[in-house]
Parts: sequence; C-alpha cells; structure tokens
Amino acid sequence: MIAAGLSNLGVLAQIAEFTPLDTPEVQWAALLPLLILAGGGVVLLTVSSLVKAMAAPGVNAAATVLVGLASIIACVPVWQRVQDPERGPFTAVGGVIGIDGFSILATGLIAASVILAALLLDDYLRREDIDGVEMYALLLLSASGGVIMASANDLIVMFLGLEALSIAIYVMAAMHRRRIESQEAGFKYFIVGAFSSAFFLYGIAMVYGATGSTNLVEIATFLANNLLLRNGVLMLGMALLLVGFGFKVSAVPFQGWTPDVYQGAPTPVTAFMASAVKVAAFAGLIRVFYLALGTYSLDWKPAIYALAVLSMIIGATFAVVQTDVKRMMAYSSISHAGFVLVAVQAGTEKGVTAAIFYLTSYVFMVAGSFGVISLVGRRGDAAHSLDDYRGLSRSRPGLALAFTVFLLAQAGVPLTSGFVAKFNVIAAAVDARSFWLALIAMLASVIAAVLYLKIIVAMYLTGDDAEADDSVAGPKVSIPLPAAAAIGIAIVATLAIGVLPGYLFEVAGDAVPVLIALP
Amino acid sequence: MTGLVLLHALVAVLAPAVGARFGKRVFALTVIPSLATLVWLAVHLGDVLDGGAVTETYQWVPGLDLALSFRLDAFGALMVLLVSGIGALVVAYSAWYFPHRPDLGRFAMLLCGFSGAMLGLVLSDNILLIFVFWELTSITSYLLIGFDDTRESARKAALQAILITGAGGLAMLAGLVLIGQQSSGGTWSLDEIVHNAPSEGAVMSWAVVLVLAGAFTKSAQVPFHMWLPGAMAAPTPVSAYLHSATMVKAGVYLIARLAPAFADVGLWRELTAGVGVATMIWGAYRALRQHDLKLVLAFGTISQLGFLVALFGWGDSKLLFAGTAMLLAHAFFKAALFMIVGVIDHQAHSRDLRRLSGLGRRLPATAIIATLAAASMAGVPPLLGFMSKEAGFLGFADSLHSGADLVLAGLVVGSILTTAYTARFLWGAFAVKPGAEDPIGAEVDRPLPPLIIPAGLLAVASLVGGLYAPLADELVRPAAAALHEPAGEYHLHLWPGFTLPLLLSAVALMGGLALFALRRPVAALQRKVAVDNGADDAFFALYNATLRAAARITRIVQPGSLSFYLSAVLITFAVVPAIVMMGDWEVPDGAVWAESPFQAVIGVIVTVGAVGATLTRRRFAAVLTLGTVGYGVAMLFVVQGAPDLALTQFLIETVVLVLFLMVLRRLPERFAPRRTSSLRAAHALVALGVGAFVFAMALASLAARTERPLGHEMSEVAYAEGGGRNAVNVILADIRAFDTMGEIVVIAVAAIGTAALVRAGRARRDDEAVPDEIRAGVGVDDGGDGR
Repeated sequence: MIAAGLSNLGVLAQIAEFTPLDTPEVQWAALLPLLILAGGGVVLLTVSSLVKAMAAPGVNAAATVLVGLASIIACVPVWQRVQDPERGPFTAVGGVIGIDGFSILATGLIAASVILAALLLDDYLRREDIDGVEMYALLLLSASGGVIMASANDLIVMFLGLEALSIAIYVMAAMHRRRIESQEAGFKYFIVGAFSSAFFLYGIAMVYGATGSTNLVEIATFLANNLLLRNGVLMLGMALLLVGFGFKVSAVPFQGWTPDVYQGAPTPVTAFMASAVKVAAFAGLIRVFYLALGTYSLDWKPAIYALAVLSMIIGATFAVVQTDVKRMMAYSSISHAGFVLVAVQAGTEKGVTAAIFYLTSYVFMVAGSFGVISLVGRRGDAAHSLDDYRGLSRSRPGLALAFTVFLLAQAGVPLTSGFVAKFNVIAAAVDARSFWLALIAMLASVIAAVLYLKIIVAMYLTGDDAEADDSVAGPKVSIPLPAAAAIGIAIVATLAIGVLPGYLFEVAGDAVPVLIALP
Repeated sequence: MTGLVLLHALVAVLAPAVGARFGKRVFALTVIPSLATLVWLAVHLGDVLDGGAVTETYQWVPGLDLALSFRLDAFGALMVLLVSGIGALVVAYSAWYFPHRPDLGRFAMLLCGFSGAMLGLVLSDNILLIFVFWELTSITSYLLIGFDDTRESARKAALQAILITGAGGLAMLAGLVLIGQQSSGGTWSLDEIVHNAPSEGAVMSWAVVLVLAGAFTKSAQVPFHMWLPGAMAAPTPVSAYLHSATMVKAGVYLIARLAPAFADVGLWRELTAGVGVATMIWGAYRALRQHDLKLVLAFGTISQLGFLVALFGWGDSKLLFAGTAMLLAHAFFKAALFMIVGVIDHQAHSRDLRRLSGLGRRLPATAIIATLAAASMAGVPPLLGFMSKEAGFLGFADSLHSGADLVLAGLVVGSILTTAYTARFLWGAFAVKPGAEDPIGAEVDRPLPPLIIPAGLLAVASLVGGLYAPLADELVRPAAAALHEPAGEYHLHLWPGFTLPLLLSAVALMGGLALFALRRPVAALQRKVAVDNGADDAFFALYNATLRAAARITRIVQPGSLSFYLSAVLITFAVVPAIVMMGDWEVPDGAVWAESPFQAVIGVIVTVGAVGATLTRRRFAAVLTLGTVGYGVAMLFVVQGAPDLALTQFLIETVVLVLFLMVLRRLPERFAPRRTSSLRAAHALVALGVGAFVFAMALASLAARTERPLGHEMSEVAYAEGGGRNAVNVILADIRAFDTMGEIVVIAVAAIGTAALVRAGRARRDDEAVPDEIRAGVGVDDGGDGR
C-alpha cells in the first residue's frame, strides 16, 4: 500500500514537472479562523457519530464553544498582521477572499455568536428532546458560511457563503420537531430564502454583464475608469443585489418572513440568526456597496435611504403592538437593521465605522435578549407572551435585571452599548448631511422605546390593583449554568462597550473594509 | 467632580442591601454623598463666586469627542446647592415620612442615583455628557414615579412621563448633535459653544427648536405639561425633590445656559416667551381647579416653570439675573410646600382640600412654615420670591426687544393667578371650613419635629434671603454673571422705590386676592369653559390611536401567509428594477420570436404546461404539468445544439419529479380550496406582471451586451490550458475550481441538514417535505452556478 502510494506521488510529481500549473497562493494561515469553524463542524459531526462518549450531556456544546474560541484566537495574529502598517491587508485564494480588519472582526463576531448560541443550545436541546450533534455541526457550518460571506472579494464566493449560511439555518429553524411553528418557520424561511438567493444570483449576473467581472476589486476599478453611457444593466444588478441583501438583513419590504421565522425557530437558533446572520449579511452589503459600487453611491444611496426609513419606522411601530415578546424582538430587529442601514447610507468611512460599531454591540445585546427569552420560554419554548414575564423581577431578579440591561441597550440608553451605537449612527448621518434621516431615526427610537418599556414594565411594575401581592409571584424559570454564562458574557460586553466605548471605537475604525487587489 | 458622581453611584448600588438589613437607617447612608458634595462645594465656593471655575476632564470616547469633562462655575454652584442641599433635606425628611416598608432600600437607591445623575447634569461641560445624565434623570424619575407599582395609575403615569421626557431628550440630542457639528472647531464643550456661538443658518434654527423641544418636555411646558400632574403619583419626597426643585429645572437650566448665545437664533425668543407665558397662565389657571393639595402645587409648579422659561429664554442679562434669583426662590418655597403637603398627608391621611378643616389650629408650626413659603410663592414682600419677581418685571419693562410689553402683561396675568392659587392652597390646607362634608382636622396629631424641620429650614431661607437681600445677592449675581458677561447693573433690593414693577406686584397681589375672594363665581365660570384634562386626554388618545393603527396595519401587512409575503417580494422585485429599466430598455438586434418551427412548438408546449400547472386543482396533475415545462426547456436546449445541457436538465427534472411524486403520496390529492376569486385574480395579476418583467429583463440583458461573451474565451482556453474537450467540465474543475469546491461544501451542509431533519422527523412522518425541498433547492443553485 505504502509503496503504491509513494509511486503514485512520483507519478504526480512527474506530471507536475510537465505541466507547470499556476496555482494561486492560498494563504492558509490567514484562513485559519474560517478553516477552524468549517473543519470543526465536520470533525465534530464525524467524531460524535463514532465516539459514544460524545453523547454525554454538554460535550458537544463544549466542543462547539472550544471551536468558536479557537477561531477567535486564530483571528488575533491575523488581525495583528493586517494592522501592521508595513504589511497591511491582503488577499487569499487567488484574490477571491479579502483579509482586512473588517473580515477579521466579522469573523470574530460570528464566532462569538456561535459560542453564545452553543451555550444557549446546550440545555435547550436536552429540555426539548432534540438530542444529537447535528445542531452544533450546522451551527459551525453556517458560521463558516457567514465568514466566507463577510470576507468574500468576489461575488460568486459571496454567494457560496450566503448559501452555506442559509441552508444550514433553514434546517436549524425547523429542528424543533414537536412545534409545528418551528417547521413552518423552516419552510417559510427556506422558500423566501430561495427566492432571495435567486435574486442575488440575478444581480451578480447583471453586475457581471455591466462590468465584466465578479471580482469586487475589478468591478470597482472598472467603474472608476469607465464612464458607462448606458448603465441600465448595472442599475438592475445593484437593485437585485440589494433585494437579496434586503432579505438577509430583513429590511422592509423584505421583512415579511422575519417575525414568523424568529418566533417559530428554536429560541437559541433565533439568537444566532439575529446576531450572526445580520453581521454576515451586513458585512456582505457593506463590501459590495461601499467598496465595489462606491462610485455609484449616488444611485444606491436613495434606495438604502428608503429601506432604512421603512425598516426603522415599520419595525418599531409593529413591534409595539405585539404581545409576544419573541415576536416583539423580531420586529425590533427589523428596526435595528434600519439603523445600520442609516449608517451604511452615509456612504462614508465614518458611516461604515458606525455600522461596524452598531453590529458589534447588537450581536451581544440581541443574543443576550434571546438568551433570556429562551429561558423564560421554558419547556416547550412557548411561554413568550408578555403575561409570562409578569413578576419576573420577583421570582428571578437577576434574570429580570439582565433583560432590563439588554432592553435598555436596545433602546439606546446611556451607559449601555446601544447608546454609543445609536449615537455613532446619528452622528454619521448628520455628518453626511442626511438631517431628515437622522430625525426619523430619532423618532423611530422613541417609538421603539415604548416597546422595550412595555416589557420592563411587565417585569417590574407588576402589581394587580384588585388582587393580593402573591398573585404576581412571577414565572418559575430555571437558569442552567451554560445559559447563565452566555447571558453573563452578553451583559459584560454590553456594559463594557457602553461604559468604555473608546476601545471598540478604535477597533471599528481599524476595521473599515478596504479593497485589496491581487499583488 | 467625577469622584462625587461616582460616589453617588456607589452608594446607590449599596443601598438595597443596606436597606434590607437596616431598614430606615439606609437614609443615613444615602445622605452621605449629598453632604460630601456640599462640603466640596463649600471649599470651592469662594473661588467660584469670584468668577473662577473648577474644571476636570477625562477622555472617555476620544473618537466621539465624548469626554467626562466637568466644570463648576457660579451658576453651576447654585444648581449644586439646590441639588445637594435640598437633596440632603429630602433624604432626612424621607427617613421620617415613610412607615417601615421592605422596599425602602430600593427607594433610597433610586433617590441617590437620581441625585448623582442630576449633579452630573449641572456640572457637565460636554453637551453629550449632559444628554447622558439627562436621560439618566428621566429613567430614575420613571422608576420613582412607578415606585408604588401595585397602583395602575402610578404605572400609567410613569410610562407617560418617560415617554414624553424620553422623546424630548432624543429630540434634544439631535439638536445638540447639530449644534456640535456646526460649532466652530467642532467642539462639544458647553462653555466654548456659548462663547463662540455657531453661525446662524437654517440648520441652526432647526437645532434650536429641537433643543427647546427637549427642554420643554423636561420642564413640563405646554403642551407637554401633562406628565407632571401624573408624576404626583410618586411618594411626596420625590415630588418635592425631583418634580419641583431639581429635575424639572433641567430644561430651565439648559435654556439658561444656552440663551445668551442662542436667544437671537431662529425662533428661540418667540418660542420660549410664548410657551413660557402660556404655560405660566394655563398652569396657574388649572391650579385653581384642583381639589388635591398636591395637584394644586403640581400645576403651580408648571406655572412657575413657565415663568422661569420666559425669564431665561429672553436672553437679556437683567432677565438672566432675575431668572437665577427666581430659580433659587422657587426651589426653596416649592420644595418646602411639597414637604408640608407630605406632612398633612402623613398626619391627616388626606390631601383633599374640601375635607381638611381647621388644621391651622391643630398644627400651628406647620401652618406658619407653609404661610411663609406660600407668601414667597405669591411674591409678598419681604420674601425672596417678591424680589425675584420684581427683578423679572423690571427686566421685561427695560427690555429693548419687541414684544417685551406683551410678555410682561402675560406675566402679570400669570402672577395674579399665582396669588389666587396660593391663597387657595393656604385656605384649603389650614382654614376652618364650616360647610365641609366629612371634615378632617379636629383629631389630627401633631407631626414629630424632624418631619417639619426640613421644610422649616427652606421657608426660613426664603425669609432670610429676602430680609438680607445682599446675602442672596452674593450668590445670585455671580451665578448670573457666569451665564452672561457682563452681568447687568442690578441688585436684589428689598425696597426698590415706587417703580413700575412695584405697581405690578401690587396689582398681582390685589388681583389674586380679589380672584380668591370671588372663588365661587370663578369656579362656576371655570366649570363652564374648562377642558379639564385636555392635554392628558390628547396624549392617551394619541398613544392609543398609534397602537390601534399599528395593530391594524400589522394585521394587513403580516397575516402570516407565505403567499402574501412572496407576493410582496415579487412585486418589489418586479417594480423597482422595472422603473430603473424603463428609461433604458431596448430589444436586441435581430430578435425573433422563434428561429424554427420546432422552437415555436416547444414554446407553446411549455406555455401550456405552465398555465396548466397554475390552473389544476390536483397535486399530481400540477407536478406532471410542471414536468412538461422542464422537459420542454430541455428540448429547447437540444434544438439549440446543447445536448450536454439538455442532459443535465433532463436528469434534474426526472429526479425532482420522482421526489415530488414520493412526497405527494403522503399529501391530499387536491390542493386546499382557494379562498376568494378576488384573491385569485390578484395572484394571477402578480404572476403575469412578474412573468412580463422577467421576459423584458431577459431581452434587456441580451441587448446590453457590450463585449465578447466570456464563453468564447473559456472554450478557447479549455483545451489549450485545461486539457479537456468538454468546456463545461474544465470550467467546473479548473477555471472556477474554488467555486465548485464551495458548492460542494454547500451541498455537504445541505446533506447534513437533510440527515438531521430526517432523524428529527422520524417521530412524525409528515416532515419529509422539508428535506426534499432543500434537495431541490440545491439542485437549482448548482445549476445556476455551473452554467
């Protein structure tokens, strides 16, 4: 066997001599965070299927957390290399992957979402009898798709990332076999997602038709050097790409699926969707529109302006009238997407910095929020109505306090990450002279504040006028350790960013994406 | 200064634990930060009153110019005196006011937290930092109003208060950001902004309106005043502290700081004067209608805040001086009066002025203190309130800006009403009312001395400030000078001589007393003309209408129906690009409907199949006709001369068809009946529209070709470099190898997902539809990329 193998190698070497193949440089070291996530998913699946001991409670979750941590750690040297002024950002795999501060930060955020989701999933899966390793494997594979999307330097590669990200999530959303809503969510998300992917592909084709390349750098160069007399196809392509992204970030009018899917999916999966998917989708959006299509910003800005206004106002307004907390958060995520769009709409470096800052803050506050919701939902993942939160401050003061912090952060209250995030966005919009948009953003915050206050009121100010005190004893929620850890991490991040935003601000400034051509 | 704010925060954090353990003694802990602040103030007071300033800056978020920068000047010192001085008194008062209850720790925490936030607000030199503390005061106020969370009215009032002040706060932030961005050098320092006022312009006029909106909501100006009476649901110490002496002054404070620089910008002067006077008159008028002593004071506070806004907003140095004096006077007398109401409530268990009767005789000390404070409120000499009001009248009488006379007239009317409700308050609280039903008074116990001492101190301060005018002058003059240099040549006088202001004061007092004497006919008149809760009703009507409208729209837009969502998406997909395409649409050269009869026939078959698939009611038939469409397209490929493509298409069609049929075995034979014919028509319309758009788009794309098709190049290099005759294979395996690998990863993910779902679905058989759909979806994607 070995001898045969060796001789095979020899043959290969001979062939290599005869036909020198010009293979692009892959830059394995820079791809390590991505490879850890993807490889981790596959290895976890394989090992867990073969080794009995992996079936013990918590092992799979712990492995997933470790993979996520390893990925974050692997990001550190790459970040240092990129920030080193002598070396700077570079490309990998023949120019289709861009390694810059932006993609590394997005990778880190997605890996952090994986960790938080895995911690939340651990107890959830046991509680709901959804045993097995598939959920974790899908989580990791989906995350690797997100990373590809955020680092893609080529539209086709970005599409691959989008698909890997989405397909895994369609399944994860439908994994709760006893809840018909979960299956409905998976199905709806799949159908709508397939449409959005199709639009996205159409868009790629159109942009390719207009510019002659799918590579972001080449698109940007082409557009900078050529004046298109007839740009109908390019406009069409941009519109279709925007539709595809609009779906993934759930901007109005492409938000239809969001409340149903967020509500139906298992809550930890919703947490992952709201955090990692948003990060990946916005990363892709910023890469394509800010970098590649930057010269045409006058044409896409009005469209994003409209999406932002609609998302902020409609998301906030609809959220207020819901009585299901999970659904409220779904609508509020639409409103948050609108805020990030306000930052993107500025089309400036300041705007992109604000968007990055917002997304970073948002990952933790939304994952934490859904973490609390996942616990309060209890067995069956069904106790999500506002009434189920009445008196939470009495039965579980810590949990109620944590949720309050997340809600206040989402409302943009000072000393939480949400305030600085919102402030950045407004400042960027004002800086870009979009005064009306800034005002509308303020108005939307006010409407959204009603929503967060409604939940806080339900948890704290709970008394019943007629009845005695013991009628509001509050729900009996058990808090398993891993979920508590996830919520704790989210709290620390939310408050730390809120109190000392300077560090993240610097990091976000360093993470503004850049175009890197193949050397 | 940072240390003092942090001390408040630290003590606040400790308070609940201490409260749980030591009960009322927690107030001994929470008074410490206020006392420490007062000591610190005493150390710096000399410097500051001489015109100096104490500053302190720590960088917080350098990228945002958000610095922890604090600055104590004389006006700040006055505010600190109010915040911490009255704060300490209120904490002391609380210790005697509350019965023992388990949540006192929480109360002490919130009160201490508020104190720290308010201290930060008046010391901040960075306008963003001001906003941060501004919102913190709103939140602590919200929690304190809703402190008795078992009462629905308290919860409702709390929500109303934070909605109004919170909304105003955000408007203010927008205004402050505009000011900061427009200011010369982009500074966020309050001091620098005021001294180098940004240039005028449309943006600044808007900025000014936004900032004023924030100030008006916080200081309960008409038409945002309705939250303040509701806020009286809070325990009385909170009303005395937050809702009369400090928090509601935050708006006034901001106006005072900015008025010297912005009074001439945009609508600033018109708005502050108009809203201020309207608030003063309306608040006082409403105060005359109240039966709850606390509400009399609440509306009185609204009225006085209007007075302050009118004084400060004008921006003249004399009026800034008058406003500063009034600010001090109002804090003294109003906090004292609220405490007195608390004492009455505590002793008599009622605040209804129709039932209280003869309390003056039972509680003489309380009555004397109340009379002193109330006299200052009405502007009776020789109290501080009188001198401040005189200063205000004089300021407007001397002002050169147009409209000052009108404002002055409005202020006099407001003052007449003020005297009237002051008289009503004293009469209501202490007089003997012979005709009262179910009177309270005869059996009321005297309060413990500590309960009335804080109010007494404040009332005495009103008197001392009046009798020894130079003493008050020592504080007020530098404070006003800190707002605006140089301060006007005016001092507080006890006896100004026979001047116009004195005459006006006399008119106000006499008119008010006359109005009080005629209270029965006045009340009858008010009943006829008054809209009692106009603004309050308007707020809740707006609030509820918003909720209802949102609910209705939500029902329409989010029915949960997949076909509805898809229609919305498809319409957007068709309409938006169609608009773009409209201006630039052309048919490619040489386009024909069909190149050969074969194509025409296949085209007809495909169309018939597609129409049939939409019309049939049976699932099997639908799938089969859909298959016809697919095979027809494959046939088109064959006719076009692409057998490999056709083969792929045939394979995919067959696999999909088989999968479909396997699933269909488990589904009902027919589709669920359609709902309405109008819905069908709408669906048909959407389908036709999208179809037409895709057709047009395909033509437009063909017409848009400017370069040689890439396919040519690829087929040329396929054999030369890739060594393969099958160009498609070379493209997949060589030219776009990484993409293919990516696709394989995607398929792997899908396969894992499918397996997971099959496993998860074993318990219930009807889940299999989902994995099949996913497999079909991958097939589509694969095809899309491969070509």
